[in-house]
Amino acid sequence: MAMKTPPLIHPLDKHLRLDRVPTMYCPGCGIGIALGAMFRALDRRFNEGLLDPNRIVWVGGIGCSARATLYVNYDAAHVLHGRAIPFALGVILANPNLQVIVIGGDGDIAGIGGNHLIHAAKRNIDMIVVMITNFVYAMTGGQVAPTTPVGVKTTTTPYGNPEPPINVVKVVTSLNANYVARASVTTPHYIESFFYKALGMKGFRFIEIVSTCPEVYGRHIGLRDPVDMYNELKKRVKYKQKPSIEESDISWDTGIVIGEFLERNNPSYLELLTGVRGK
Amino acid sequence: MVFNLSALEEPYALISREHGKFRVCIIVNRCKECGLCIAVCPTKVLVKSSVINAYGYHPPEPANIEKCIGCRLCEYNCPDFAIFVERVG
Amino acid sequence: MRKTFAPGNVAIAEGAITAGLKFYAGYPITPSSEIMEYLAERLPRLGGVVIQMEDEIASINAIIGASWAGAKSMTATSGPGFSLMAEAIGLAVITETPIVVVNVMRAGPSTGVPTKTSQSDVLQARWLAHGDYIVPCYAPWSVQEAYDLTIKAFNTAELLRTPVVILSDAVIAHLWEPLVIRDEKEVTIINRKVPKEGEKALPYKPDPDLIPPMPIFGRGFKAIAESLTHDERGYYAPRDDSYRALVLRLHMKIFKRLDQVFDYESYYCGEDCDYMLLSYGSVARIAYLAMLELRKRGHRVCMLRLKTLWPLDEEKLVKSCSARRIIVLENNMGKIYMDAERIFRDREVYPAPLLSLELPSLRDVLEVINTWL
Ligand SMILES: Cc1ncc(C[n+]2csc(CCOP(=O)(O)OP(=O)(O)O)c2C)c(N)n1
Ligand code: SF4
Ligand code: SF4
Ligand code: SF4
Repeated sequence: MAMKTPPLIHPLDKHLRLDRVPTMYCPGCGIGIALGAMFRALDRRFNEGLLDPNRIVWVGGIGCSARATLYVNYDAAHVLHGRAIPFALGVILANPNLQVIVIGGDGDIAGIGGNHLIHAAKRNIDMIVVMITNFVYAMTGGQVAPTTPVGVKTTTTPYGNPEPPINVVKVVTSLNANYVARASVTTPHYIESFFYKALGMKGFRFIEIVSTCPEVYGRHIGLRDPVDMYNELKKRVKYKQKPSIEESDISWDTGIVIGEFLERNNPSYLELLTGVRGK
Repeated sequence: MVFNLSALEEPYALISREHGKFRVCIIVNRCKECGLCIAVCPTKVLVKSSVINAYGYHPPEPANIEKCIGCRLCEYNCPDFAIFVERVG
Repeated sequence: MRKTFAPGNVAIAEGAITAGLKFYAGYPITPSSEIMEYLAERLPRLGGVVIQMEDEIASINAIIGASWAGAKSMTATSGPGFSLMAEAIGLAVITETPIVVVNVMRAGPSTGVPTKTSQSDVLQARWLAHGDYIVPCYAPWSVQEAYDLTIKAFNTAELLRTPVVILSDAVIAHLWEPLVIRDEKEVTIINRKVPKEGEKALPYKPDPDLIPPMPIFGRGFKAIAESLTHDERGYYAPRDDSYRALVLRLHMKIFKRLDQVFDYESYYCGEDCDYMLLSYGSVARIAYLAMLELRKRGHRVCMLRLKTLWPLDEEKLVKSCSARRIIVLENNMGKIYMDAERIFRDREVYPAPLLSLELPSLRDVLEVINTWL
């Protein structure tokens, strides 16, 4: 069958590899909402003339979230589970004129890739890391994830998860990152504005996006319907201006605080590298 | 609104309705019938249509278009880039 | 051209610089660390970057990323780190990324003897990652050759869009010998094919040489580096036709250029010999002395030394010598021996496993050879 270039219809179509749409995501999966919000932030930066679409590189590991890299109409790498951050580090150090965006699930970024996350933040490497937290290993069918709440029954914790989750925002904030924020797919405008801000900064920028996985996590917690899951998450999400790290723990019972936890302008790795070399 | 069913045959069929200020468009064959747009619309513009798309899903239709306030929440919350809102005139 | 006196690790670093190295990521491990330390001092002054990563997994993934951003990249390690790199070797293979990975072999298994030599990783170089693939592998026997083969490794990587392994060992790493460092213009340097600016090429559609031009990031190609089995667009393709096309091409593109990849040296092989010694790397130095000694004693013996361990040019090897008996000398339990036995199937092939933490002495080598004479 001869491939025609699909016409641009939706205002975000130019960001998409349209021949791969519809995506493989399940109906109502939050990842697409997050991606759309990020595209709108990119559009704003493009319109300001501050960013060149040809200099953007998306990097993802493996997982439903990382698979977003298959759909973006940019330079993109879909690499190994957990290794998106070191791959992205190589890209940015080899060509500092690029803007590197890492996207992945909490298993990819904070589980198997946790040590890379820590070290990239410690080094204040010039990259944006977007971690989609859906509380489960979705792609592999519903095993426990680093962010799964205590007590939740998953396919590998059939008696309930005995482990308290990692608060990844807290971990990254304790390091040398320049920006740490959390949004939710129920607040796409905050995803957009945090990502917009991150695009204008240097150094290591980390955005956690709390997401919905109605297909797998929804099954675990009895919220199989995308709208139910969305509404239950929305009920719990509270935006705060300048929230403190103390209130950053994610709790399905007491609520999920979103907002900008950290914003500063420490010298980035690239800045320090050129500084040292200049001497 | 006149909806041409034969348009469904082609991959980029649109359901589209407008009033004086806004037009709401649904790209029929991208919709996965998740219902999020219908749920987030503050003025209940959208309802599930009886149309069945190429993947067997029922996309929404802006049945109560006259109530649309152009907030774009449907567009921002659609995970599949299937619905968008345009300003008319 | 510059004449100096240097150890093998420095020769590898210098070879990489001559070849155009721009990005090095690594993690310290004996006996390879001096490569990173030397480059950390030299490379930044030449406009390159050296970074010590959090582990070897990060190191190899970083150099793959850097290569997609257009930089010639390398990492160096030893056995334990090489084991950690397994998965990413496969990533470099399937994304067709030119990188050079140096494994300065030490005795294993596991932590083994960090400071002492071995040749026991030659099958790891061949089979490290899961899946079907082949990665070219070079084994130098001297400081000068460590330099020369490093340049060749980069050229092969760039020409064939493939990872390339250099297998050095603790002996070559710390052996000081005269070294001629050449200027860039005195050697052939190969750079990867890149699509023309603005060209919307399919990222994995090969030219007639089976190599697709590499769409470097940042130049508007909308490139795709895909770890999934993919078609010519770089799109996931879990179908027999695409899977076969990809895996076959990944093999064929290497074998098609055996002339470029495979290299060896032979000594007295043209003569009518009874025995041939087959050896490589540091152990070949002693094998060579043993051959001279045996000839002095009147034995009709010759020697073949592999510079390329993988892939082997089986036809060339068979034709290289007519000796009926072949003794494979290597510092392991007998690994190249397994292939030699298959390749020279109509001859008598004997293993001469050495398992020696130091470069074996001439006496030791003569002793094992003697058991077969
Ligand atoms: C080295 C390795 N181990 C395991 C896997 C299998 N695997 C694929 S995705 C995944 C986890 C996905 O979870 P997450 O990163 O949270 O992403 P999600 O699918 O939830 O978006 C695993 C374990 C793999 N691909 N590679
Ligand atoms: S399994 Fe969950 S995370 Fe993956 S596509 Fe489906 S809904 Fe999304
Ligand atoms: S723009 Fe707002 S009011 Fe109009 S249909 Fe969409 S959600 Fe409803
Ligand atoms: S949100 Fe999008 S995919 Fe879901 S029902 Fe509405 S148009 Fe369809």
